[in-house]
Amino acid sequence: MLVLDDLLFRPIVGIADALHSLALDECYDIDALEDERKELELLYELDEIDDSEYDRRREDVDAEIEEAREVHRRLTSGRVEVREL
Amino acid sequence: MTGASSSSSRYVYGIVSADDGLEFEAEAVGGAGQVYPIRYRGLAALVSNVEEDAGAFERSDEDATRHDDVVREILLRDGGRTVIPMRYGMIFERDRALTNVLRASRPTLRRTLRELDGALELGVKLVRGEGQSVEQSAVEETVDRTLDPSSERWVENDQFSDRLVLNRSYLVDREARDHFDEGIEALSQERDDLKIRYSGPFAPYSFVDIQIGGR
Repeated sequence: MLVLDDLLFRPIVGIADALHSLALDECYDIDALEDERKELELLYELDEIDDSEYDRRREDVDAEIEEAREVHRRLTSGRVEVREL
Repeated sequence: MTGASSSSSRYVYGIVSADDGLEFEAEAVGGAGQVYPIRYRGLAALVSNVEEDAGAFERSDEDATRHDDVVREILLRDGGRTVIPMRYGMIFERDRALTNVLRASRPTLRRTLRELDGALELGVKLVRGEGQSVEQSAVEETVDRTLDPSSERWVENDQFSDRLVLNRSYLVDREARDHFDEGIEALSQERDDLKIRYSGPFAPYSFVDIQIGGR
């Protein structure tokens, strides 16, 4: 019975893990956010955006990167808590 | 004064020839103020002290910038020198561990120092206007014709934006720098429909692929 439970349960966990990982990468794609930051710096260096626009957008993208890193840290730390809202 | 302390770890910026093992004050990683050499048989690792052990080191954008600034200072200070740059975040908890790595990697490090002798890295980005279409092969032909004669080699970098037509790092000998600048000028005249972002000099990060121990 124990073996049967394992066999039935593991594929489901595997799919759930994969879906979770995909969702995580989609919502908190650090590489894409870092590309966005590099593009922002490039446009600023080329004088296509001014100081105030650069500061505003840079603050936003930095906050998003920090949030994405924090989410990745939490969800890969092995101390994930799932709650029903 | 060496700034060395037996109680802290060593943060490594780069490897130079022992003759180039300079010491200077700097705003270094983790708030340290002194960069100094740890030598081993013809090589020197340029380091600063960090209080944390390797496991406790917290990465930050500020420290990444300090790392880059120190490496650039090593590259250019007092007429400059050849440096093998280390990646941000490399820490050794004991000097012995660092010298062991220098000993084990010595042939590779010495060969790399010879290969990079006198070389700088320069960045070239060509950027199209919003919605502008360009013929990629024609751009590359012009870039190769104007820049290749004064550079030793180049590598392609990330296409992190749709606006980028070309993003390359060039390895250029210090003596050929003026010639390369002339190439950039010629390129900007021939392709005045594109914006050029020319940056550097940097230590030759893009042309070194050495993994050494530490963290």
